Amino acid sequence: MKKLIIASLLVAGNLVAGSSYGQRGVAPVRDDFYKAECASCHFAYQPGLLPAKSWTKLMGDLSNHFGVDASLDSADNQKLLKYLLGNSAEKFTEYKRSRRINDSIAAYETPIAVTKTRYFIQKHREIAPRLIERKEVRSLVNCTACHTTADKGSYGERAIKIPNYGRWDND
Amino acid sequence: MRKLLLISLIAVSFVQAQELNPQMSGYVNELKEQAKRENQNFQEFDYARGESVFTKEQVGKRGVLISCATCHTNDLSKNGLNEQTNKVIEPLSPNANPSRFTKVKKVEKWLRRNFKDVYDREGSAREKGDVITYVINKK
Repeated sequence: MKKLIIASLLVAGNLVAGSSYGQRGVAPVRDDFYKAECASCHFAYQPGLLPAKSWTKLMGDLSNHFGVDASLDSADNQKLLKYLLGNSAEKFTEYKRSRRINDSIAAYETPIAVTKTRYFIQKHREIAPRLIERKEVRSLVNCTACHTTADKGSYGERAIKIPNYGRWDND
Repeated sequence: MRKLLLISLIAVSFVQAQELNPQMSGYVNELKEQAKRENQNFQEFDYARGESVFTKEQVGKRGVLISCATCHTNDLSKNGLNEQTNKVIEPLSPNANPSRFTKVKKVEKWLRRNFKDVYDREGSAREKGDVITYVINKK
């Protein structure tokens, strides 16, 4: 009987934790303007992949956006920034990836690339460069090349399929 | 009968002259006025000059050789590719992709960005008009 009570408590505890920490990936993109403007050149990175300070810095210099000019008029820039800040990583800590990315960024740093965050680097460190350099992938910025459900905000291992390699298994 | 033929001919030529919507035609006319102000000898936008603007390689914003065709390719009815992100760029030619060159705001935005990327400076009114003329007319 005592065992049953303990088991029940554990289940209940998990359910409670699930309400605040249950989400596995990041919140999906729901803003059509964001998709139209940002995803014309690259994957529509979910706002929950970076904290507010990163988005503010990135949107402050779109004329020099990873080597290219991605400038917008200021009304459109403000509109996108508002969406990004309202949905940034530290506001979505119930999502595992948002929480882990945000926790991996030190107070003194402001990365503007998801690929430069400690969490991202640690998660991708075992991927051989030859798998990335192929034309199907080209760069780690191309999430959907391997994460088949990235557009849904889901980056779980089961949905990884690396071109010219296959499924990825960390174990 | 002859009248009908005449009307049909006029209608056909009208349709051909209307490749751009009124907003876009207005924008191209503004570019024309500006090009005239900047150079008294300016006459018309020119396909061949536009082709040169589009295909000429030079050192761009990233410090490497680049032209418009690097990403858009020389066949404007086919998909291009952003090699940095592996994102497909839909055809630039309105013949293949009717949504192209329909929104002034979008055209201005991309001309501004892409001249910076390829030429590392803003395009002049003449260059913009020339390159639009080339892209919308290339078969």
